[in-house]
Amino acid sequence: MLMPPFELHHPKSVDEAVALAAQLMEAGEGFDWVAGGTDVLPNYKWRINTKPHVISLAGIPEANSISSTSIGCTVTLDALIQSDESHPLLVEAASKIASSLIRKSATVGGNLCLDTRCFWYNQSEDWRRSIDWCHKADCGTGADCRVIPNQNTLCVATYQGDLAPNFMALEASVVLVGPAGERTMPLTEFFELDGMKKNVLTPGEFLLRVELPEAASARVGAYQKLRVRESWDFPEAGVAASWVPGDIDSLRVASTALESIPKLHDAEVSAHLKANDRTVDVKALAQAVQKSVKPVNNTALPPAYRRKMVRVLTKRALTALGDLR
Amino acid sequence: MGGYKQQPGASKGEVRRDGKRVAGKQAFPPPGSGGSRPTMAPRDLAFIPETVGGQEPKPAGDHIHDRDRTGTTVGKPMALVDSNAKVTGQAWYGDDVRLPGELIGKILRSPHHYARIKSIDTSRVEALPGVVAVATGKDAPHRFGVLPVTKDEHAMAVEKVRHVGDLVACVAAVDEATAIEALSLFDIEWDVLEPVFDPKLGLEDVDEPIHWRGKYHLSRTNVQKRVFQEFGDRSLVNTPAASSHGSWTMEGVHHGFTEPHAVVAHWDPNGRLQLYTPQQVPHYTHRALSTVLDVPMHQINVVRTFVGGGFGGKSDPFPHEMCAALLAREAGKPVRITFDREEVYWINRGRHPSHINVKMTADEAGRISGFDIDALIDGGGFASFGHVTSYYNGVLATAPYELGSFHYTGARVWTNKPASGAMRGHGAVNTRCAVEVGLDEMAEQLAVDPIDLRLANLLPPHSRTISGFRITSNGMREALEKVREGSDWDNKFRQLPLGKGIGIGCGFFISGSGLPIHWDPKNFPHATVHIQVDMDGGVTVHTGAADIGQGSTTAVAQVVAEVLALPVEMIHVRSHESDTSPVDLGSYSSRVTFMNANAAIRAAIGIRDQLLKAAWEMLGYHPNVLVLNDRRIYYKHDPSIGVSYLQALHKAQEDTGALIARGAYRSPPMGGVHKGAAAGLAPAYSFSAYVAEVDVDVETGRVSCTNVWAAHDCGKALNPLAVKGQIIGSCHMGLGQVISEKMVYGRTGHLQNANLLEYKIPSVHEMPHVEPIIVESSDPEGPFGAKEAGEGPLLPILPAVVNAVYDAVGVRLRDLPLTPDVVFKGIEKAMKKDKIDDPEDLPCPRLTHGPLQPTLVERANLHRERDRLRQRSEDTSAYVNGVLFGFDPNVPLEDQVDGWRDADEPLPEQLAELGFAGRAWLKKEQRHMGGDA
Repeated sequence: MLMPPFELHHPKSVDEAVALAAQLMEAGEGFDWVAGGTDVLPNYKWRINTKPHVISLAGIPEANSISSTSIGCTVTLDALIQSDESHPLLVEAASKIASSLIRKSATVGGNLCLDTRCFWYNQSEDWRRSIDWCHKADCGTGADCRVIPNQNTLCVATYQGDLAPNFMALEASVVLVGPAGERTMPLTEFFELDGMKKNVLTPGEFLLRVELPEAASARVGAYQKLRVRESWDFPEAGVAASWVPGDIDSLRVASTALESIPKLHDAEVSAHLKANDRTVDVKALAQAVQKSVKPVNNTALPPAYRRKMVRVLTKRALTALGDLR
Repeated sequence: MGGYKQQPGASKGEVRRDGKRVAGKQAFPPPGSGGSRPTMAPRDLAFIPETVGGQEPKPAGDHIHDRDRTGTTVGKPMALVDSNAKVTGQAWYGDDVRLPGELIGKILRSPHHYARIKSIDTSRVEALPGVVAVATGKDAPHRFGVLPVTKDEHAMAVEKVRHVGDLVACVAAVDEATAIEALSLFDIEWDVLEPVFDPKLGLEDVDEPIHWRGKYHLSRTNVQKRVFQEFGDRSLVNTPAASSHGSWTMEGVHHGFTEPHAVVAHWDPNGRLQLYTPQQVPHYTHRALSTVLDVPMHQINVVRTFVGGGFGGKSDPFPHEMCAALLAREAGKPVRITFDREEVYWINRGRHPSHINVKMTADEAGRISGFDIDALIDGGGFASFGHVTSYYNGVLATAPYELGSFHYTGARVWTNKPASGAMRGHGAVNTRCAVEVGLDEMAEQLAVDPIDLRLANLLPPHSRTISGFRITSNGMREALEKVREGSDWDNKFRQLPLGKGIGIGCGFFISGSGLPIHWDPKNFPHATVHIQVDMDGGVTVHTGAADIGQGSTTAVAQVVAEVLALPVEMIHVRSHESDTSPVDLGSYSSRVTFMNANAAIRAAIGIRDQLLKAAWEMLGYHPNVLVLNDRRIYYKHDPSIGVSYLQALHKAQEDTGALIARGAYRSPPMGGVHKGAAAGLAPAYSFSAYVAEVDVDVETGRVSCTNVWAAHDCGKALNPLAVKGQIIGSCHMGLGQVISEKMVYGRTGHLQNANLLEYKIPSVHEMPHVEPIIVESSDPEGPFGAKEAGEGPLLPILPAVVNAVYDAVGVRLRDLPLTPDVVFKGIEKAMKKDKIDDPEDLPCPRLTHGPLQPTLVERANLHRERDRLRQRSEDTSAYVNGVLFGFDPNVPLEDQVDGWRDADEPLPEQLAELGFAGRAWLKKEQRHMGGDA
């Protein structure tokens, strides 16, 4: 399959990258960021929303640093797994992503900014032409959504990143840089409920690094991933949970691969703790988490099944945390 | 180092008195000496049959090829002869062929499921700089198809497109980017038609059937082929002691071979077409090219490149092969077309999506009184091999068990989807799964062990199935006994905790289709092999056997090496070009080892006899008392009296130059006379039995297969390493179909997962530990006793896993693949039925042997001895299916039983009670409706 032509840029610093983006924006030229390329480039080969310019972040040393509290966007999943500084929950989650070969290229930033996925969308150009395009890649036709027809406002493509719920469970925040400068926000605020918009990144802005609070190292966590095969597959549902052992109020549960964004289930957890006098009834909490998600039919397994499995995954993740009291 | 030298020194030639050689009278230069092995190796008696003085045990009795054994290669594990090329990246696959000045061809594919092409305007395409040639359906109006009876394909759509991805036009340009751009410049007017996706609707009359077969068209339906077969005593099914009724839905699966289709076409300076393609069956492509291009076959040379996996998916002549040839002819330059993965799925030819209904009954003696099978198979847009598949879905279930009666109705329908075709285990896989699971269910009802139920109902060696297939060697019993022992079955079955299960499944498959598709085997052999040996001693073998990774080149090299007692490095197999290889039907129906190796043995014997004759002249000993061993021929009682292979060869060449011999194989006459009697006929059949162990996660429904004991009767393992590889590979492929692989056609009829991420072939993590067990029943007609090992081993894994899942969670599942959601749904249903809240509380099936169990064990023991005697031809009495039910094999069964059926059409009174696919028999052909004469 032929890669469509694009111009590849290699900035050597954050400033240079941001300046380059600003310059392209000024010229009215479209562009994408690329780190490992394991998500962007396959989509390019399928000619999905391709741009004439691609800015590589690979040459920016600052983006490639890793410590226990800060992980640069171009740190590969493999490096994350190998590093002694990585939180065990992140190691567990990263080890379940794709295959060992892909993890050598795929990056932390790329995984967080993963394009949402949908079997009406992740298809070649010929294929998408045969369905007369879709809302997310409409090729200027204003095509309807193929998952839920007759709603042309929101894209319901599924976010299938594995790291996000785990970072959420560890209270991570993200640092974004762009022409307007640098800003930091909790990861939970990074995503936007629209499969097309995906996140809050503004034009010219990119995710530079993820930061973890010092306290994260005290947390223990577990990640449960549902997939057909133990390798390659994106999650069909994923639930991460963590807590500081002994501190029930620190419990965090987050899920992925069920909707267009990953979700921190803080409302369900706090309501549950309140109702249960600050103890956890694993079964009931799992049920509550299941009830709060609404998957749609656009991945390999049927949505009704995926939703049921959220309960099982949550139960297993919580059980792995030990005695929740 | 001692031993007899292969090159007995330089004989000095004629020498002048001054010690110099006489001009023109030099000694023959000693070519191809022993290399690093200058002396003869001792005879390897461990690999010479005991029947001819060696030590290799022959429990199944002697074999006609025993006296051709030299202990050189047969039975010894060896790497495939083309493995170096493959592991070092030097093998040249379709897309590796790069001819100077090549153009890149791209194919315009239909965006519609079903549409009439009103017009195609190519003027904008032709105007694009860099475009060199354009072709549309109009340029190739002749139809082709793999089967002569169903030629329904064109190079590109002539009138209608029949599925999304169907070929519409093609273009050749200076580079890929230009060719891709050109595809967007075709102006096409479509008349979109109403598509059909659900095969169940295929039986209904429609305005616009996908194909029109004229007077043979079945009413106005989309039925491409209907089959009715009925044998035996139908009254036996009326009072069953046990019965199983299973309604199955099996999704379509694809071969998932590594190499996408690729083709290079080039018209050489003499105007001959040179076509490079990774084909399993180059000869059919050869024929189809001739038809489509209107060029005689002798003006076409089909070059089979290395084939990066075929599994049946590269055995049709393909429209893109025609496209490349058309474009190259127009452009006057080589044209290369390589598929994207999605195009591979669009050309498909994978296993048919199937709806199969199986009713089975057993009598109070634990005999199988009836198989009643109804199979509706979804053929997609074209016929491909479907005519055959329609039969195989029924008739390949007529063994290995002795049946009281057999009833099969099948229909293959066209739908607006990519065409289904032949895939490893062609037609037999889905029905096999259904009947093996049915047997398990009946065993449960009868309170007997399912292995004992099988052992007590096997057809013996040298018998005939209910449908008239001739069974020769039969290692079914040994296979079952070996997996039972290997898996510790008796201590596990129905005794494992919830979530852990063990299951059995058997298989039966043809070892080479008995009928060559294009000719009568009386007129022309199935396979021919030429051998040429020149003065260097190297043996060149010309064969058309298409190595698709299964090792056919190695098998041919091995048998020639064995007969001639030469190291396999001295055998050079030339099989790539139709110009040099004799006509061969290629790699399908697991025919190559059986047919081609048989032909190769005959050719090698031709060479050997010339060598022995020369040695006779040189040594004075008759060939009967000469021994061939490791590049040497000698008197059997005194190895010092002998000549080297090269000496004998040069002697034999004195008057003729290079030695030449040929060998051919044709199948013996066999089979019945009913319509469809040829379908499923084979000169031999393979048998297999697998036991699979699974873990089922009862909360998620996820199935993982952990262990497989896989016994396969391949007659004789010419190369045990290759046989084991085929068994393990078959397990992987079958496991994909049973746990995760499916071609997903969504709500709109589009193939949703035409890529290797979403088409879920098991990864290494899903692969169980497989214990391959080779069973050798020594087939009397097989080469050195060998039968197939490439397809049959796939069959048993499916039912073994499905039965193991039942053993683990007590849920009978009949929707393949068993993806987690399917299994979970079954578990939920069981929970609801038993009013259980927690799946961990599910009851596990358990077995307490009933009164029938000892009866079956006793019968099986008697049959073991019966089978041993028959296998060794110590008992040569006639045996046909029906003896178990008390019939005399020497009298026609229809004379013994009132109403014994042997029918290929339903009786009028049967019409009302036919199964779903059988309802195709309610329709009339056009010629009987007064239409379209």
